[in-house]
Amino acid sequence: MRSITKFAMEDIKLPQKEILRSQGIPDEASLSENFERIYMEAAELFQELAEPKAIIAGIGVSDFEEVFRGEGLNEKENPVEEIFRKSSHLALFAVTLGPVLSEKVTELFDNGKYAIGYMLDSVSSYAADKLADLAAQHLYAEIVGRAAPANSLRVLNYSPGYCGWHMSGQKKLFEALRPEEIGITLNESCLMSPIKSVSGVLIGGPGEIHEFVNSYPFCNTCIARSCIERMRNAVMDAGG
Amino acid sequence: MELLSKISFNLQSGFDETVTALTKEAVEKRIPPDEIMNIGLIAGMNIVGEKFKNHEIFLPDVLLAARAMNCAMEVLKPLLIKDGIPIKGKVVIGSVKNDLHDIGKNLVAILLKGAGFEVIDLGNDVPAEKFIRVAAEENADVIGMSALLTTTMPVMKKVVDMAKDEGLYSEVKIMVGGAPVSKAFALEIGADAYSYDGANAVETVESFFRENS
Repeated sequence: MRSITKFAMEDIKLPQKEILRSQGIPDEASLSENFERIYMEAAELFQELAEPKAIIAGIGVSDFEEVFRGEGLNEKENPVEEIFRKSSHLALFAVTLGPVLSEKVTELFDNGKYAIGYMLDSVSSYAADKLADLAAQHLYAEIVGRAAPANSLRVLNYSPGYCGWHMSGQKKLFEALRPEEIGITLNESCLMSPIKSVSGVLIGGPGEIHEFVNSYPFCNTCIARSCIERMRNAVMDAGG
Repeated sequence: MELLSKISFNLQSGFDETVTALTKEAVEKRIPPDEIMNIGLIAGMNIVGEKFKNHEIFLPDVLLAARAMNCAMEVLKPLLIKDGIPIKGKVVIGSVKNDLHDIGKNLVAILLKGAGFEVIDLGNDVPAEKFIRVAAEENADVIGMSALLTTTMPVMKKVVDMAKDEGLYSEVKIMVGGAPVSKAFALEIGADAYSYDGANAVETVESFFRENS
């Protein structure tokens, strides 16, 4: 299975409170008129300029082992390795919001429109993460549609640079997935362009396989800290 | 003085066109440019900074004020130079080689300008050699580097090492920042400071100058 999907804009929800939370703004904060105006402008620009696309390719466990091994720089003990070995379905994925958004952010900053540039960047970062969730939902629908649905099946996405999977793993992932087809390229530091892109593996299996204790040495310096919520959702959604 | 208060008030509200017009009016009324800058603009930005610290306003509000500040400084800068008024300090800033993330770096640059520093922004994907060359040519006081990837962080160490080799290390303070960067990393590579966000970067640069005064 290898597919390219263009998502509809209405599939990407932009809940203002969640986006502002990602900027460190509490729900109860009172926002200035200027702030509200800037947010609305950014949300409109996002709707106008985003070009959400995904590429998803199924992969077997032994082939994924090779991709995951990457340049041999992963943490010795990491949760991803334990999780993918227990999976029933694996697929490589990459999603992007396209190049125009990032170009617009740069243009806004260059023209001194810092506030709207910052807000558009923030909305786009949030949306890129949500696009990765949509890719997971897409795989879930495909699995459920083609075989008997397993009630506890949950698909979550994992990316190089997180949970002990070294960033250099992008190289093997790109070789196997070839996301250039949807316009995503990789530079020598493993940075994707367009910047608002996410890549990794979709791991499907019973909700419990996604549970782990986040006490690995690298958890102390993790900047994402989203694993707890992800695990909770995976287990709760699965009726756990 | 009322005019300078108006400048400060409008700057706090992010009204860039009004602040620029009031600044021109102040110049026409022969108010010394350093007074316009200190009592009008920087005083306004200080209040903005305080409100931001107290979570009364948020980053987009600060950025609107910073834009107003920068527009007004475009009016004042030639006059300040003409009067021989020294700038607060010069900072060379950029995202390191192979790192194309520049939002964090841009925010630091904008806030430093808003605090009255001269900022030379080298953009993103900046090789170590360029940081050193420009810092030396411009007689900069501070080099600020940003990285958002663990794979590009080693460039920061290269800049520190080159500064040592080129005899710049004692002349220029080196500040690093970015999501995967930490205080421990800054110490390990020999940088003078780590900053966790734009406001903290301004405080850090201010502290360099307090140390030297």
